[in-house]
Amino acid sequence: MGTNHSYYRWLTQSTSIAPLVTFRVLFGAIMAISMVRFISKGWVSEMYVDPLYYFTYTGFEWVQPLGEWGMYSLFALLTLSAIAIMLGFYYRWAATAFFLGFTYVELIDKTNYLNHYYFVSILAFLLILLPAHRLFSLDVWQQRVQPLQFVPRWTVTTIQLQLGLVYFFAGLAKLNPDWMLHAMPLAIWLPAHADFPLIGGLFALPETAYVFSWFGALYDLSIPFLLLWGRTRVLAYFMVVAFHVMTALLFPIGMFPYIMLLATLIFFSPQWHQSVLQKAARFFKQNPFAGTATSGSHVSLWTQRIILPLLALHFIIQLLLPLRFLAYEGPLFWTEQGYRFSWRVMLMEKAGYVTFHITDPKTQRSGEATVSDYLTPNQEKMMATQPDMIWQFAQFLETEYQRQGIADAEVRAEAYVTLNGSGSRPFTDPAVDLTKEAQLASNYSWILPFEL
Amino acid sequence: MNRIELTVLPQKPLPNKVRAFGFSNGLHFRGPLLLVLCAMLFVVSCNSDDDGGGDPMDDFDRAAMLENVGTNIIIPRYEAMEEATTMLLATAQLFEQGPDEVKLNALQDAWKNTAIAWQSCSPFEFGPASDQLLRTSVNTFPTNQMQIQSNIASGNYDLTTANNIDAQGLPALDYLLFGLGTTDAEIVSFYTTNASSPQFKQYLLDLVTAIDTKVRFVNTSWPSTYLAEFKSNTGTDVGSSLGFLVNELNFDYELIKTAKVGIPLGKKTLGIAQPEKVEAFYSGISAELALASFRGIEQLYRGMDAKGNNGLGLDDHLSSLGAKYNGGSLVEAIDAQLALVASTLAPVPDPLSATIQNSPNTVDAAYTELQKMIVLFKTDMPSALGVLITYQDNDGD
Repeated sequence: MGTNHSYYRWLTQSTSIAPLVTFRVLFGAIMAISMVRFISKGWVSEMYVDPLYYFTYTGFEWVQPLGEWGMYSLFALLTLSAIAIMLGFYYRWAATAFFLGFTYVELIDKTNYLNHYYFVSILAFLLILLPAHRLFSLDVWQQRVQPLQFVPRWTVTTIQLQLGLVYFFAGLAKLNPDWMLHAMPLAIWLPAHADFPLIGGLFALPETAYVFSWFGALYDLSIPFLLLWGRTRVLAYFMVVAFHVMTALLFPIGMFPYIMLLATLIFFSPQWHQSVLQKAARFFKQNPFAGTATSGSHVSLWTQRIILPLLALHFIIQLLLPLRFLAYEGPLFWTEQGYRFSWRVMLMEKAGYVTFHITDPKTQRSGEATVSDYLTPNQEKMMATQPDMIWQFAQFLETEYQRQGIADAEVRAEAYVTLNGSGSRPFTDPAVDLTKEAQLASNYSWILPFEL
Repeated sequence: MNRIELTVLPQKPLPNKVRAFGFSNGLHFRGPLLLVLCAMLFVVSCNSDDDGGGDPMDDFDRAAMLENVGTNIIIPRYEAMEEATTMLLATAQLFEQGPDEVKLNALQDAWKNTAIAWQSCSPFEFGPASDQLLRTSVNTFPTNQMQIQSNIASGNYDLTTANNIDAQGLPALDYLLFGLGTTDAEIVSFYTTNASSPQFKQYLLDLVTAIDTKVRFVNTSWPSTYLAEFKSNTGTDVGSSLGFLVNELNFDYELIKTAKVGIPLGKKTLGIAQPEKVEAFYSGISAELALASFRGIEQLYRGMDAKGNNGLGLDDHLSSLGAKYNGGSLVEAIDAQLALVASTLAPVPDPLSATIQNSPNTVDAAYTELQKMIVLFKTDMPSALGVLITYQDNDGD
């Protein structure tokens, strides 16, 4: 218990609130921009209004889109709550609203799953628990809360740890033969950018894909530590900038690089954050650090006794989720069982084509389903390589044919998938009637082996 | 209420400006950097050894491929299409002025030529063609007899509205020129003795004019404005020229597989054939059109012009990337499958609607090969080229 105790003391030591405050402001700002961008690209309609079918998550089937008016209102609410987070305006409510709203949207359809959306959900959840509004906020200015100079260290460590886990697991995931020994999928993706200004010629070289792969893996594994350590922090941040700027230029990954560029500033020293806030405050002709009791208390022990165990539980889950793939036979990239929620980013060039064969058991007549009648091109594309979505859609087709008067239709999937330049090969057993297969089978017996 | 013991933050004096930004001792960084550099050198040296210095990607010039496809394939095909529609319009005008069987036959021939010319333009639904909704307006089938008849009866119609999409274009003309009666004399009577003959003539002329106008616009836009944009847009993302080519080639190829063959064959109706849903049902040249469409896509893929000169195409791009297919080369796999499609599709006799009923196995054999081809076109090819197969813009991760 002795070590526990000292670790507890370390976590509860006081540190400047400044890093937390900058994080709050930047996170709110970049989220507001992200939401406006999402709306202006027409994605709200494209992803959450137009589709006729949604790939729900197990246990979250009740999460359904809210209709055109409802979805746009929800995104408006998300934008406003992001702004409120930035301003520290009814902050806890704003963070809660943003977390619930954002997560709801993400749970509507697996098609749209992105690791960075999951990351945003997690950060929003953590922000609900952190007192990031206790300085430099409207809540303080309008005297809804007492200002704080100091917070317990765990408040800042929480975000640092979460970021570190994201990078570290992303790095671990890269330690596989495809990535390290064959530079896949970068060996496919980089030559596609041979027309890149100035250095485009380099992308055509096979060596470049290896350098990028190895650098990427080393970067992900080491960057949390390099950022933590004061001596390497500046260089580490230059690496963060170089890495994320590069990925932003080369790959269609939206806001993620910018979110990471801002989020990793949490690793900078309290002094740096204080000076940033002071400069920002000068703009408002205020001193954020003036007039607050430097010896004043912060989070009550009572609160900590609830929040710290909650955070501990959160991080245990965070440690276990990316490892759950070990419970399945795999190969992971082929079956994707335990793939999501594990910080596996940019690991696969995977494309597929799936045809659903329908048989009426009574007449023994067979035909194909017209998938495009039900799915958007993007849903169709995402489904073609993800077994759980193929299974899910097969169940939907059974009910759809039921509606058309064919009882107990048999649905078989004939799918072909190419993975990291392997060449397309049979993906699903076309003899298996998926309507008779259980969803939660620990291993899908109807996925054909990857090796030919 | 309990209070946490406060430890005062170590507020060391900040000696200089650099430290104020937290960049303390930032330059004392050696180990990891050296590690990274060594790893990079290691990888580069290892890899260049077993690669033998031969770099397959160096020599592919995507801009040159786009130049070839734009200048030698797309533009000549639109020119041929405009020639066909010009002829179609001229014969339609002659027919309208004095309908008889001879003029009908001339008009029918002009229609067939236009329908065949269209097949090779159909995969280019981007840029000016997309602005004109060319594919939808020219070739949405099966056509809607009821809508055509009601338009003619009312004499009041707007071809740009959504409900008239299947009452216009080549399929509607197919009906008006071949399907109104069983003999030519019977068909001509709709334009001569029928009570609504002026409206029939007007509708016919309106449809032909609409096609001609759109084709003329696209054919003019390509060399004058769009070609330059097409050639310079050398990326691989959504909205790049390569992205357009690959996606639209696939879209058009799926039309052969599904609309031209699969649906009539009963693939979407649990095996119950729907022969009346073939393209060009009334003229009965469906199989010929399907084969023309396939040949058009094959030549586009190879970068081959109408005279058979083989320039830079998608096949060359795939070769340059060394794209693999289950141990062999992807280009060879595609070649082999293209040959199989051709050898099963070419022998399918017209009229396809009759063949589907009399000899469904012949058509089914072609369908099976068409289906196998699509896997190579739609998964292997885009994947090897690094092109996103999507008609939608969205983020990845």
